[in-house]
Amino acid sequence: MPTNSGAYGENDATDSKATGNNENETAANVAGSSANVSDNATNTGSTGANANHDAEAKNTGSTDETLNAHVKGTSVGNVSGGTGGHGKKKGWTWAIVAAVVVVALIAAFVVIRNNRKASIAPAQVHTADSVTIGLKLAPTNLDIRNQSGSSLDQVLVGNVYEGLVARDSQNKVVPGLAKSWEKSADGMSYTFHLNRGMNFSNGDKLDASDVAWSINELVAKHYHDSEALMNFKSVTATDADTVKLDLTAPYANLLWELACRPGLVFDKNANYDMKTQAVGSGPYTVAKFVPNDSITLKANPKYWGTHKAATSTIVLRYFGDDNAAVNALKSGDVQVLAPVTENLAEPFVKDNANYRVAAGDDTDKFVLAMNSKGAKTSDLRVRQAIRYAIDHKQLIASRGGADKPLGGPIPSLDPGYQDLTGLYPHNVEKAKALMKEAGYTPDHPLELRLTYANTYGTELGDQLRSQLKPIGIDLKVNVVEFSTWLQDVLKNKDYDLSMVDHNESHDFSQWTQDSYYYNYSNQKVKDYYNQAMAASSDSQRDALLAKAARVVSEDAPADWLFNYRITTAMKSGVSGFPLNLNQTLLPLYNVRYMTQVK
Amino acid sequence: MTSKDECSTTDTNQASRESTNMSQDIVSSVGNSVIQPSGKVFKSTKARSSNKLTVVLRSIWQRGEGKFALIVLALWVAVSLVSLVWTPQSLWATDGYHVWAKPSAAHWLGTDGTGADVFSWLMAGARTNLFIAILAVVFAGALGILLMGAMVSRNSALSNVSVVAVDALISIPTALIALILAVPMGASVAVIIIACGIGYGLNLARIARPQALLAANSDYVASSLSYGASGFSVMLHHILPNAMPTIMVQLSLSAGTAVLAESGLTYLGVGVPSGVPSWGHSLATSVKFINVYPLTVLWPGLIVTVVVVALNVFGDVLRDAIDPVTNPELREV
Repeated sequence: MPTNSGAYGENDATDSKATGNNENETAANVAGSSANVSDNATNTGSTGANANHDAEAKNTGSTDETLNAHVKGTSVGNVSGGTGGHGKKKGWTWAIVAAVVVVALIAAFVVIRNNRKASIAPAQVHTADSVTIGLKLAPTNLDIRNQSGSSLDQVLVGNVYEGLVARDSQNKVVPGLAKSWEKSADGMSYTFHLNRGMNFSNGDKLDASDVAWSINELVAKHYHDSEALMNFKSVTATDADTVKLDLTAPYANLLWELACRPGLVFDKNANYDMKTQAVGSGPYTVAKFVPNDSITLKANPKYWGTHKAATSTIVLRYFGDDNAAVNALKSGDVQVLAPVTENLAEPFVKDNANYRVAAGDDTDKFVLAMNSKGAKTSDLRVRQAIRYAIDHKQLIASRGGADKPLGGPIPSLDPGYQDLTGLYPHNVEKAKALMKEAGYTPDHPLELRLTYANTYGTELGDQLRSQLKPIGIDLKVNVVEFSTWLQDVLKNKDYDLSMVDHNESHDFSQWTQDSYYYNYSNQKVKDYYNQAMAASSDSQRDALLAKAARVVSEDAPADWLFNYRITTAMKSGVSGFPLNLNQTLLPLYNVRYMTQVK
Repeated sequence: MTSKDECSTTDTNQASRESTNMSQDIVSSVGNSVIQPSGKVFKSTKARSSNKLTVVLRSIWQRGEGKFALIVLALWVAVSLVSLVWTPQSLWATDGYHVWAKPSAAHWLGTDGTGADVFSWLMAGARTNLFIAILAVVFAGALGILLMGAMVSRNSALSNVSVVAVDALISIPTALIALILAVPMGASVAVIIIACGIGYGLNLARIARPQALLAANSDYVASSLSYGASGFSVMLHHILPNAMPTIMVQLSLSAGTAVLAESGLTYLGVGVPSGVPSWGHSLATSVKFINVYPLTVLWPGLIVTVVVVALNVFGDVLRDAIDPVTNPELREV
């Protein structure tokens, strides 16, 4: 059994180990008896029944050996004797062995399920000084200026590095290193007033010169996301606490972009290897980094601000395999798991005395793109029919029910959101009529390919095939490697239908780019978007974006299957863990784990 | 095995060819032997009048594990055929509001992650797996016999090269062949069949070679050749019949491994494509949820296990039944 990595107080740790051991033994026995079946079924190591492999060593083979001995025995007997006299007895033995295996399997599951009811005697409350969090996507290195991937933003932004401004759990811009700012009337000049007495974790002072240097470096060296600072002209430190940023033209998303990577402030005097180390001004420092495995954060003793770390050590562990992640939470190796597949979280939902499961809003859009210039999908009627035919509520229900319907390209946490689900309500009759008009019926169906990456599972493709069958579409589902999707769909635009999770926030601009894989082009959308970006106020920007989004949705270049919401499962006793947006923005300073000690 | 045994094998073979037209009594003799206590069957005089296939089948049926294997295999074929015309629910009837349902009257084995009927998918999966197993075995058999012929060829250049080639190629895992094939072909049933065919064909050739070599070096082959028989004729009439018991057993085991390979390769994403029912597909789509919904993994797992055990047992029993040395009844035919 893996040690509890110091997540508990001493008393608690020994206690949990004792119960843990018991559990493990039962699990080992169970795995032993089931191992025979799973081994027979999976010589090639294919089914997940092998999840119990490490436990199986103790008991393996007892039944297997009997079987082998049995088979050998009969063949030898027959060779020498030449008569099949034992026939009936052998048949019975076979039946009994099979029955025993089946009963053992079923008993195993029952035992496992019942075993979950471990009771803890309540006593005093103790706040753990270490919390372990299970995440999914691991960063390959810590170089946030060059390495792409939202996993880096998740760990570092707000925890280790801080930006000129920050964003809150509603995706709104809030003060960061700058306590306030002003925008000029023409929207082309911003003045930021910084907090006083700020410093980096190495003790260096943080002032306006660091801010200006960081942004200038970003633009000059084309660091990752530098292109997000559109219309950038210059940034200067007018004095130690004031920074002035000038644009060549107004850009309504500027502040939000500065809350992400482009606004991060680095120490201009520090010299360190950004791939493995991090010197920032946030409440945490990186104590240990193991690529693709874990990151250990320790509270920054020199932290200057108000977001002081509540827990001194936070370990982030990465699980590529969903079941391994769920097992880690069950065994207590991690106290929080984000994200967890909703259907997999069911045991935690049931065990609400020990666990809490909650979903948070996010900007993930599951986009079923329909190639607007495809040979078959260029017909608007076909695309509209597909949107009418898809039963979004059913898709969401089958995934567990946490996700939200989404009728257009802008999710609720982004500017310009408007409920567009009424544009194409679920209406099979209307879909059939449109398909008939286009020349297709269930007897003469239209054959379409749906290409998507295997990371999303097979269920969605299977459901879409079923839902589109009655309106006269024969959907061929190609579940491919993500790299194949990138090549065929994103790069070569060789697809009819494609499905992908566009998780980026503020990404409406993709509908204004003719070269993007959607093959979508509408001048009206581009005009609205450009006006929105030049808008002087947020409300004006939001109204224009909403208009643009409506036009896009009406043109049906895609169907938005749902707005995916992140499900997080945690031990009861964990508090302060952000639920919204936690795959890109995960401020950890407030995370606490309270345990009850005897 | 001594060369005397070899002679008897060929002898019975010729005898069986002569007696193939005497098969009118098959039905009655099978009926008799099933009813009779198994120990007495071999003494039955009626056995003389049945042909080889009947004797083999009857010998298999007389053994308990043989019965088990035959029943399972017959069920497999029957279910496959039925699934072509009927399944309890349509495969495409998905219901997002009732996913991962427990077994009920409407869904005998519950529903999967899309709300489709697990039992119907397993029924339909039976035919895909049967198709794969049969074609893989046919392909492996053809390739294996061809290579075996080359390995025991009188042309020493050909035999030496083919021995080395088989030894070299046999070191490539079947899964790797499938992964390579999947690059141009994508996930498809053909990938499984070709990969299994190549992998098991090579194995077959190597395992059957010693048997074939014994026959090839025997006196009766030498005399056949001295009478002017062609290499092909010797292969067909002497070498192949001698190697047949080994080949049959090996092919039966290969069928079992092909069923396993289908599950494994489908799980890896290079096997059966999405939308084609197969046991591997049922396993692969539910295995992620084994902690939460173990039953949906149990059913396909159990079926694969039972079928593979049946095929392996069948191979074992078949070896004893098909070889005149171990099955005296066969010598009387």
